[in-house]
Amino acid sequence: MSKTSGALKQAFPQNSLLKSFFLVLPMLFLTAMIMSEGGKIPKNPLHLILFVIVYIFFNGMFFLMIYTGKTDRYRAILFTTLAASMVISFISNLIETRGSMALTGEDMISGNTPFCHMVIPMILIPAALTKTIIFPGSILEGFANVATMFVIWIGASLALGRGFCSWGCFFGGLEDGFSRLRRKPILKHIPLKWSYMPYAVLAVVVLTSTLALSPTYCEWLCPFKAVTEFVEITSFQVLVQTIIFVSLFVGLVVVLPILTKRRTQCGLLCPLGALQSFTNKLNVFEIRIDREKCVDCMLCAKACPTFSLDAKSIAKGRTRLSCTKCGKCVDVCPKNAIYFHVKGTPVGSGHDKSRLLFIYPALILLATFGSGTIKGALHRILLLVTTGSMIQ
Amino acid sequence: MKGFLLGLTSGTICLTCCAPILVPYLLGEGKNVRQNMFLLFRFMIGRLSGYLLFGVLAWTVNLFIGKGLALHDLLFGTVYLILAAILIIYGFFNKRSRCAAKTLAGLFQRLSSHSSSLLPLFFGLLTGMNLCPPFLLAFTEASATSSIGGSLWFFWNFFLGTSLFFLPIPFLGVLRRFEPLQIVGKLAAGILGVYYLYIGTTMIQGGVIQL
Repeated sequence: MSKTSGALKQAFPQNSLLKSFFLVLPMLFLTAMIMSEGGKIPKNPLHLILFVIVYIFFNGMFFLMIYTGKTDRYRAILFTTLAASMVISFISNLIETRGSMALTGEDMISGNTPFCHMVIPMILIPAALTKTIIFPGSILEGFANVATMFVIWIGASLALGRGFCSWGCFFGGLEDGFSRLRRKPILKHIPLKWSYMPYAVLAVVVLTSTLALSPTYCEWLCPFKAVTEFVEITSFQVLVQTIIFVSLFVGLVVVLPILTKRRTQCGLLCPLGALQSFTNKLNVFEIRIDREKCVDCMLCAKACPTFSLDAKSIAKGRTRLSCTKCGKCVDVCPKNAIYFHVKGTPVGSGHDKSRLLFIYPALILLATFGSGTIKGALHRILLLVTTGSMIQ
Repeated sequence: MKGFLLGLTSGTICLTCCAPILVPYLLGEGKNVRQNMFLLFRFMIGRLSGYLLFGVLAWTVNLFIGKGLALHDLLFGTVYLILAAILIIYGFFNKRSRCAAKTLAGLFQRLSSHSSSLLPLFFGLLTGMNLCPPFLLAFTEASATSSIGGSLWFFWNFFLGTSLFFLPIPFLGVLRRFEPLQIVGKLAAGILGVYYLYIGTTMIQGGVIQL
């Protein structure tokens, strides 16, 4: 065995095939229950085939996470697939039901706009002050209603903290995917000051939403309107808003992730990400750095997609508050000095157990959000291949 | 008394209009509660000046009736542009911020070192001239008075009524030890500056069209 592969083998704990299989068994059962919504196996052969493909895809990736000891490599495949599937399914559904991605005034008055988790920071204070939800969506009824999304968000935040941003958010995968297109970054240095921008955006959108009693981030900044739905252009103001969100999408979700190999929208703009960072304080999982093993090579800081590691935080043996627990730093560390840790347990031992305890709920969240979406997208792609159109 | 009561009933709205500028500024300065009280005091002096200026304007409102809307848009558009410029300079080019735009930093360092003590006064003055709904209501009430003294007295009382709602804000000073909040406050001020730049530009554009 060469020196390098020996070092790698030592650096990344691997499980035997048999052990990996036994560790995957609970996930096989849980994902089957989630995907079948409690045991309802699809009777339609096409849906059954899609069910099996997605089931194998999720559990295959989970198996590889356990077998190889690598977290981020397989998470990224699932996460990016979720985001791409979300775009395909959502746009197809919109065009099928509404005929367009553009929202008209009537659509908003009817209150049928699907609620998106990005709106959450903006609605809290107005809801407390005025007892109204400042979003044109349904509170209890229909697809993606406010109450359901809110409950899922609270559950995910308690279970994963800001891990939600790397395991549950169906937008983050887009830039995660784009950030992996190049082997090396072209833009290497981004001043740390800009990593505070999401908190500034959070402060501004909370204050202005309270002032205007409307979700200002959705109206002015949200780049993901480019791949979901947006307000029909009927005025100069909406035209300006459209130029802004399209520019932000191209800049922060496509171009900068390719150039920097970072998730620049999540790290430099997203106000929900900023709010989500505070939930890391409530959550039991964290990433720690063993200072005795660490050689300060800074590979982890260079690899971190959300600017959550710097010399100061590494010296303290912790990540910054914005860590999304994607596991990339754990994967790249050549000294195996970075590890998942459960707060309150002894530091420096039981790394693999802590990691397992984290990736079970994380993958369940990903399967809950992703399985139906990926099935839907596969169905649309099949339709495109067989009929020439994604729309039924 | 009428002005004071109007101020009391609409103070929360005034606060939500001023808070997006005042809160990031106070966070950006990172001062303690006592120092924040002084900053708030300067802000309020500026705000009072803005109100009294409008007291005079309300009294002379009849002169404006002919070209009312156009002048109104041009005036407030200009106010917003000045506010935007100050916020952007404060937020992105401040002498104490570690900003990437180093070439501009030198120029703004020189400017801001002279004007830092006046900043809260400017912010107060320019937000005092803000077109929030209760302010328009007060403007309408004051313009119905027959003397300039009555108009100023009305705005003075309106100012007192609304000011009570600003008293808790200096307590943001308890967060001053958390250094990143200063960066966040400055960046937030810069973002708001960009927003007001847009508002000011569209208002001036509207005013020019109406002239």
